[in-house]
Amino acid sequence: MLWALFFLVTTIHAELCHPDAENAFKVRLSIRAALGDKAYVWDTDQEYLFRAMVAFSMRKVPNREATEISHVLLCNITQRVSFWFVVTDPSNNYTLPAAEVQSAIRKNRNRINSAFFLDDHTLEFLKIPSTLAPPMEPSVPVWIIVFGVIFCIVTVAIALLVLSGIRQRRRNNKGPPGVEDAEDKCENIITIENGIPCDPLDMKGGHINDGFLTEDERLTPL
Amino acid sequence: MLIVEGMPLLYLELAVGQRMRQGSIGAWRTISPYLSGVGIASLVVSFLASVYFNVINTWALWYLFHSFQDPLPWSVCPLNSNHTGYDEECEKASSTQYFWYRKTLNISPSIQENGGVQWEPALCLTLAWLMVYLCILRGTESTGKVVYFTTSLPYFVLIIYLVRGLTLHGATNGLGMFTPKIEQLANPKAWINAATQIFFSLGLGCGGLIAFASYNEPSNDCQKHALIVSVINSTTAIFSSIVTFSIYGFKATFNYENCLNKVILLLTNSFDLEDGFLTVSNLEEVKNYLASTYPNKYSEVFPHIRNCSLESELDTAVQGTGLAFIVYTEAIKNMEVSQLWSVLYFFMLLTLGMGSMVGTGTAILTPLTDSKIISSYLPKEAISGLVCLLNCAIGMVFTMEAGNYWFDLFNDYTATLSLLLIVLVETIAVCYVYGLKRFESDLRAMTGRTLSWYWKVMWAFVSPLLIVGLFIFYLSDYILTGTLQYQAWDATQGHVVTKDYPTYALAVIGLLVASSTMCIPLVALGTFVTRHFKIREQFSAA
Repeated sequence: MLWALFFLVTTIHAELCHPDAENAFKVRLSIRAALGDKAYVWDTDQEYLFRAMVAFSMRKVPNREATEISHVLLCNITQRVSFWFVVTDPSNNYTLPAAEVQSAIRKNRNRINSAFFLDDHTLEFLKIPSTLAPPMEPSVPVWIIVFGVIFCIVTVAIALLVLSGIRQRRRNNKGPPGVEDAEDKCENIITIENGIPCDPLDMKGGHINDGFLTEDERLTPL
Repeated sequence: MLIVEGMPLLYLELAVGQRMRQGSIGAWRTISPYLSGVGIASLVVSFLASVYFNVINTWALWYLFHSFQDPLPWSVCPLNSNHTGYDEECEKASSTQYFWYRKTLNISPSIQENGGVQWEPALCLTLAWLMVYLCILRGTESTGKVVYFTTSLPYFVLIIYLVRGLTLHGATNGLGMFTPKIEQLANPKAWINAATQIFFSLGLGCGGLIAFASYNEPSNDCQKHALIVSVINSTTAIFSSIVTFSIYGFKATFNYENCLNKVILLLTNSFDLEDGFLTVSNLEEVKNYLASTYPNKYSEVFPHIRNCSLESELDTAVQGTGLAFIVYTEAIKNMEVSQLWSVLYFFMLLTLGMGSMVGTGTAILTPLTDSKIISSYLPKEAISGLVCLLNCAIGMVFTMEAGNYWFDLFNDYTATLSLLLIVLVETIAVCYVYGLKRFESDLRAMTGRTLSWYWKVMWAFVSPLLIVGLFIFYLSDYILTGTLQYQAWDATQGHVVTKDYPTYALAVIGLLVASSTMCIPLVALGTFVTRHFKIREQFSAA
């Protein structure tokens, strides 16, 4: 009699949880990829923890606070490690809708991951997409700031150079004529009068020789 | 190629500039009035080159500004709209390609769809032109000081990268590419590529060399300078190729290992094997075992298994903008402290580009400032400002969505044929029109050195023949391939596809080539006609 009951229960369980069952999800773990040498062995205790985490997640869903660990069924456990799981209602007659299970798992994904020292890539719930963290966006993009700084520096430098060029040209125009630009390729053309360059005849540095008659006195006044 | 073609032509241009003491237009007009078209052609080519070349500086600036973020924006894919996965285009291509094609260029599927001017690249282009203006504002007085910086910094960065590159995992795989494949040496295409490379890396025919040489002292020993410059140029090329190959090897090894890991994951998941059981070493035997034990399931999975091969990763030869912005960024994002490497790399790229722009800018400005007509109306700063403004305005074309296609078009067709023709005419002009003996005596009077027989033979026979050969090869290549094609980015598939150029693009190509090459015969004809009329007038007046 007891054997018959036990057999019945296992059959029901087998019917509820099998690959591609209704409301069943496949889980895949890559423990060795994540932890390397510190990888733990997947045994029945780890399965118990998993069932506990799923039950915990389901308890957070309204109307499902009575979910127990025994309501979470695992099946088809492979060496990969991968398996299928379903969550049944308290009477063990039918499985809870996939949408509820999915939303519960999504909300508590981080807790489940950290219980096993894994992350979204190494503990995969196939058909349950994980919510990826959006990249941090600063209010003003960084590149505009750098651009603005360099733009201002370059504009100021150009303005300085242009202004100094204009000032230099104005000074040259007022100065002695005939002296060309410093970076000219030809030699400086110096106006020459009778073989003597005009520049030294500038009165700036020299003394006035009074022995020479000035311009007005050459023509004797009447 | 360096010895046969590069050195003689470089020496020729430097000597012409130093002797004639004028920019390209004036120099050739002095040699023969019929040949001032050569100078004008150089000016046109330099102008067109400067229009499109500064776009590279724009992109370098863009990447430089974006390198100050953690993580680097091209190392992660952005999320899709409901945050469940990554953006589709980014998944199909890689994150570096996505950043280049979508975020930087925002490229359209074909050259016909122009899109609008985008403000981010337009801003960077304006800044790039402002920086160029700053450097060439005062003429050679300022360019001399700028060039000290723009030339020494790349060497400094290259040495740092050499040390880093050689210590990367998998770098030795890339260095293996250095061993020349002997059968490739027999292929004439390799020699033609070498000749073209020497030609353009020395900057022959642009007028820049003549312009710079015209500022030299007449007694300057330009032969020694020509030799030193060309040797340093080639040594630098070899040096930077060591760095490039080691980075290439790193990237290829990284991708190969990624590919293998993906295959391992796929097999592990499909056959529910124990995690960690499949490794790189037993992959082949396990594959055979699985194929024999579970033939049905294996044949299902088989189409998804990619054949990973290190050779094919190394063979994906890339050059130009693809190398700089996709391959290097992919390698950089996998290094530690990637922000530092990124900033260094793009700063180096920027200084190299600025150096080239300064050279091209001088090539354009020197003839303009030499001509009495223009320089009597406008000061030097205004001329350079106008040139920069014009270039910037035309350059906005390259910031549109189809801009990169136009860039490739300009890059491939502006300079190739025109420069070859210009240099050919230059060599023939100096040797035969001006007279080799006359030039030789001029040089001896200037520098005090006699011209050795080697240079004479090169200038008179070998180099012109070589250039004619290159010219014929390129012409026949263009004619034989029929319609010209370009690489377009397909966003839905995540890789490039080849498309044909539409008719108006072909017309632009023809215009580009014609505008510079036609200058030479047209100006010669014009001078002939005006002279003819002048002589007639003189005769009728007398």
